[in-house]
Amino acid sequence: MISVPLFFYFGIFLAIVGSIATAWGPGVNDPVVRTFNTEVASIGVCLVLLCYNHVLALLTLLATTVVISLILFRAIIRLEEMGADV
Amino acid sequence: MVVLPVVVPDAFISMYLPAIYAGLIVGFIATMAIAMKREEIHILILTDLVGLAMIFVVSAVGTDLAEALILPGLVVELAETLAISEILITREMRIIEQNPRRNLPKSSSLFPQPFALNMEILNTAPNFIALLLIGYGIFLTGFTGGAVAGGGIVLYALSKKARGLPVLMLDGIAGISGISWCLWILGFLLFFVAPQYWLLSLFIAACGLLLKVASKVGLIGLLMREDIDRE
Repeated sequence: MISVPLFFYFGIFLAIVGSIATAWGPGVNDPVVRTFNTEVASIGVCLVLLCYNHVLALLTLLATTVVISLILFRAIIRLEEMGADV
Repeated sequence: MVVLPVVVPDAFISMYLPAIYAGLIVGFIATMAIAMKREEIHILILTDLVGLAMIFVVSAVGTDLAEALILPGLVVELAETLAISEILITREMRIIEQNPRRNLPKSSSLFPQPFALNMEILNTAPNFIALLLIGYGIFLTGFTGGAVAGGGIVLYALSKKARGLPVLMLDGIAGISGISWCLWILGFLLFFVAPQYWLLSLFIAACGLLLKVASKVGLIGLLMREDIDRE
């Protein structure tokens, strides 16, 4: 059987650990590493939305996470090639 | 005392407090990290985390209202990230222009070199998949359909651009956006003026939303075109 509370608390755990890793984790002075760590927290939020049966919100979160990470990578790469201190 | 609607299942009520506390903890961590950081790009990435905390708090409601609030929240967050990253890049460009000693050679960006592979599947497969995605998006209509169709447009633009081929012009997107707003308002108005045509007005509004979201996602392809255009 699938236990919903297990998924729910694991999602919360992932979100909190992912946000701590994004804020103060190892190597976060590199903005690329920081962006990747955000994905961990967003997977946790995905699990929580799955437990709440929010299908549309889950799909939209997946789509916007991908697009936001594309936008952030573009900004990071542009800033780095212009020689700004990131 | 919390007033509970009868439509909320018992399981969601027991999940309410943990979700609220998790959202508060994530938001606290993110805002503390924002307060401690100086560089703008790091702050932009951490703003993403604050958005996730917002989703936690809203999703704890557990009804369709939560879903209806999460969708615009996510899309507004996306538009905000896009706008702020553009502002950051423009500001950094101005700083470099004012200080000529820091001028650096302009190199290529996100997709550095065009593929020189000459395989037929690279020509045909992106077209087919993009067509499939756009068709499926039009079939779905509404918000999700717009996202799927926009994903097809972006896939088409990126796959063409990555190989250094010319891509279709995506100008005039603002016009499509205006038409879609008009369709949406028309559907909404018809819903109140003539409620017996609710199916028609629903479909008008859904098609307006489809055009709106698809053109928004296609706009990202337009931005990418500027970057990838220089060989």
